[in-house]
Order: sequence, then structure tokens, then C-alpha cells
Amino acid sequence: MGFFYFDKGDTLSRIVTILSLALVLFFAAANRAYAMHITEGILPPQWVAVWFAVSAPFVGIGIYHLKRKKRAVPSYLPLVGMLGAAVFVFSCFPIPVIALNGMATSHPCGTGMSAVLLGPFVSVLVAGIALLIQALFLAHGGLTTLGGNIFSMGILGSFSGYFAFKIAQRCKLPLFWCGFLAGTISDLFTYLGTSIELGLLVINKGGSFLKATAEIFGVFMMTSQGVLCIVEGAVVGFVMVFIYKRRPGILFNLGVIRDDTKSIET
Amino acid sequence: MDFLHRTFSDVYARQNNWLTRIDVRVKMLYVISLLSINLWAKNVSVPLFFFSVSSILLFSIRIPFMAILRSMSLPLIFAILILLMKSMHEGERVWFSASILRYKLVFREEGFFCGLHTGSKVLGGISLVITFSFTTTISRLCAGLTWFRVPNTLVELMAFMYRYIFLFVDEVATMWIAQKSRLGHTSWRKMIPSLGLLCGTLIIRAFDRAERTYEAMYVRGYEGGCILTVALSPWRRKEYIFFLGMVLITPILIYMGGLGLW
Repeated sequence: MGFFYFDKGDTLSRIVTILSLALVLFFAAANRAYAMHITEGILPPQWVAVWFAVSAPFVGIGIYHLKRKKRAVPSYLPLVGMLGAAVFVFSCFPIPVIALNGMATSHPCGTGMSAVLLGPFVSVLVAGIALLIQALFLAHGGLTTLGGNIFSMGILGSFSGYFAFKIAQRCKLPLFWCGFLAGTISDLFTYLGTSIELGLLVINKGGSFLKATAEIFGVFMMTSQGVLCIVEGAVVGFVMVFIYKRRPGILFNLGVIRDDTKSIET
Repeated sequence: MDFLHRTFSDVYARQNNWLTRIDVRVKMLYVISLLSINLWAKNVSVPLFFFSVSSILLFSIRIPFMAILRSMSLPLIFAILILLMKSMHEGERVWFSASILRYKLVFREEGFFCGLHTGSKVLGGISLVITFSFTTTISRLCAGLTWFRVPNTLVELMAFMYRYIFLFVDEVATMWIAQKSRLGHTSWRKMIPSLGLLCGTLIIRAFDRAERTYEAMYVRGYEGGCILTVALSPWRRKEYIFFLGMVLITPILIYMGGLGLW
């Protein structure tokens, strides 16, 4: 069974216990909550192999994209490196948790924004490197869980954010809402990915995968991350509008908007 | 943002001690093989052995206790959380039960041991990773990755990102303080647009800096090739001895990890 999996008995009391425990631990963690990465040693060997196998093709295609663009435009690599660093720093912003009246902070993922700015495959690459740096230098995530974390944050986060942005653009929504949807949906999918990965652990022990996944996702959303998704969405929306107002050429050059001469509703 | 300055630093990796002097390829081989053993271990002894040895190694090169604790605190909390959750929700044999605020907490034996096993793996794995990160600079790591045939593009991107993270952290810290002192973070309604503004400025600066950096690299002859300059020397006797040590230790650890004992 996964660690949030409840068997028979008083489910409500258990949920309350777990939530209170989660909150206590949440405060104990030096007022910072990191919930989207699976830490070192959690995943069993077979799942480590599965998640590395799932993530590898996306990373490979990301490298191919980057190589091809680098060959055509040599300045592309410094640009991706720089934007990747900026998105990494953005992902370290301490965002106070509204539900706890700002007494604790959490941090955004940043993959939604990097997917919009750099495209989904390069964003997977950037997320992978960011996860490696975090695992090594912040002990946040892990090396054996890197594949799993790339799947949830890099692949699901980037692709969902990218497609949310593109669909919102097609629906002719204002730029703020396009950014908002990219940020929010990317976060939601990241947490869903993590919940799926943890939920799959119960299969070996005869538990219900769907129930465990739903419960883990529910705990994520109810503690701090549900509100964080909306806050990150709003921040990404403001970022898009700000860049568009100050330097629309950047969005045009990166292919986020098609024509910088035509006015867009913000 | 000051927490990043405290935790996100390679100051210890730049020190000169016997662990930082070991070749990065040897350290990478050690970390990969020991992490695999940690992952497959069927008991708590091997992960806890990794944890103890890593702690001794870190103390031996005078890494401050607080720096280790800062890095270990989050995984440690995860380990405790896992232990508690598994104790409460797995197994049949009840160890003890208590009633808190009318909610009955039941701790079970099988769950406790299972939680202890997973928790020890978290501690063992993380201690190996931080021992590596406290003794290896990113430039050495990049050189090691290149030697292991990791695609150059990936390594270069990592080197770029790492180099500019510190710079952007400084810039963000300055802007963050400026926003705070101008009452930009007083309420929710103000804080979210302020963060958007800060991040937008960061992206614009990153874009401008990328152009300037490329121009500077171009006039120095960069045409899209390799940017790494650290070259690894061939293995000497010391490296061969460490490698031989690993070859000898690994089967013993695999055997110990496979035992169903505590």
C-alpha cells in the first residue's frame, strides 16, 4: 500500500489525522513545502526503471530539437540556458500559502512558463536539468527518482501547460488568461503525475490504484498545492502581460505570439 | 530568497580536501553503484550503513553540522512521515493505539517495519547524494558527464543554467527587497502582480543577457561548439585503488543488502 492508502475502517478520521499530520510536518519543514518531487529512495527498482524508460525518449527528442536549433542559430543555447536559469529561479520564489494565511510558503513549478517560452520538448530538457541540480544541491528530489520526477514535472507539466496555452490562444482568450491556464493546468498535471506515480506503488500490494491516486491528489490539493496552482497561474498570466507590454519582440522571437505588430488583448 | 544563498552553494565543493581531490569519475561510479544497492536493499542495515559512513565522511572534511542538517532536514521529515503513515495504515498486528481528539490512531507492527525500511532508504540515498554534491563542483560534474558520453548539448545547457542561477538569484534578491520596501508584498492582491512583475523583469533581463553573452562568446570564437574547458587527467594509482576498492566492496554490500535481516 502507498503511504496515503487507507484500507477498511474509519476513512474520515484517517483523512483528518493525515491532514493534521501533513500540516504539522509542513510547518516543521522550515516553513517551506516541496511536494511535487518524489524524494530519493521512495520508488522501488522496477518503477525507477519504468519512469526512466518513459522519460528517456522525451529527453532525447528535446536534445535533438536543441541540437538542431543550435546548429541553425548558435545563440539559441545561451538563450535556453539563460531562460532556463531564470525559470529555475522563478521556481524558487517563496509563495505564501493563502489557505494558511501566509504562515507557510510553497514554491511554483515553473514548467508551464518554460513550456510556453521554449516549447514543450526543450522545456522537458530544462526541467530535467533543473531537477538534477535540485537533487544534487538542494537534496530536493533524487537521482533514482529523476525519471519519475521528469515524467511528472517535465513531461506532464510541460505538455499540459503548452497545450493549455495554445488552446486558450485558439479560443482567442486574453493573454493573461492564456498564461493563467498554462500555469494552473501545468501545476495540476504535475501533481497528478506525482500522485499517479505514488498511487502505482499500491498495485504490488493489492490496493486500488485509482483510490490511492485520488487520495494522494486530494491531500496535495487540500493542503497547499491547490491554491498554489491558481497563484502560479496568476503569476504566469501577469508575466506574459508584462513582457508583452514592455518587450513584445521577445514573445514574437520565441514564437509565443505570431505577430508583434498586431495588438493582442491582455 | 536568502535560503537559496545558504543552501544553494558550492563553497564546500571548492575546498581542498581528500574527498574533493578524488577523481569525479570514481565518485560518480561509487554514487551510481551505491545508490543501486541502496535501492535493492531488503533490510535497513545497508541504507543505515550508507547514512553513517556518509555522515562520518562529511564530518571528516569539516562540513558544518548545520549545513548537513539543512540538506537532510526535508528528506528526514519525509522519512518520518512515511514511517508514521505506513505504521498507521499497513499490516494487521496492532502495536499500540491511542485516541487523540476522539480520533483513534492505531500503529501496526508490519507497517512500522515497512516504513522503517523505506525511511532508511530515503536517508541512505540522500546521504550518498549530498556527500557527492558537497565534494564535487559543477564544472567537474560536467566534465565527468562528458567523459561518460552524456550528450554535449545537455552538459553545456546544464553548465549555462548553473552559471547563471547564482547571478539571477542575486538580481531577484535585490528586486525582492526593493518591492518589499515599497510595500509591494503587503497583501495578496499586491503580492501576486508584484511577483509577476519581478519574474517578467527576470525573463527580459535573461533574454538581453543571452544576447550579450552570445556576442561576447562569438567574438571569442564560439560557433556553437563545446564550451566546457575542464579536462580530466588520466587515472593515477590513487584512482585505480579507489576503483578496486569499489569492485571489492560492491559484492559484499549486494550480499548484505539481499539478506532478510535487520
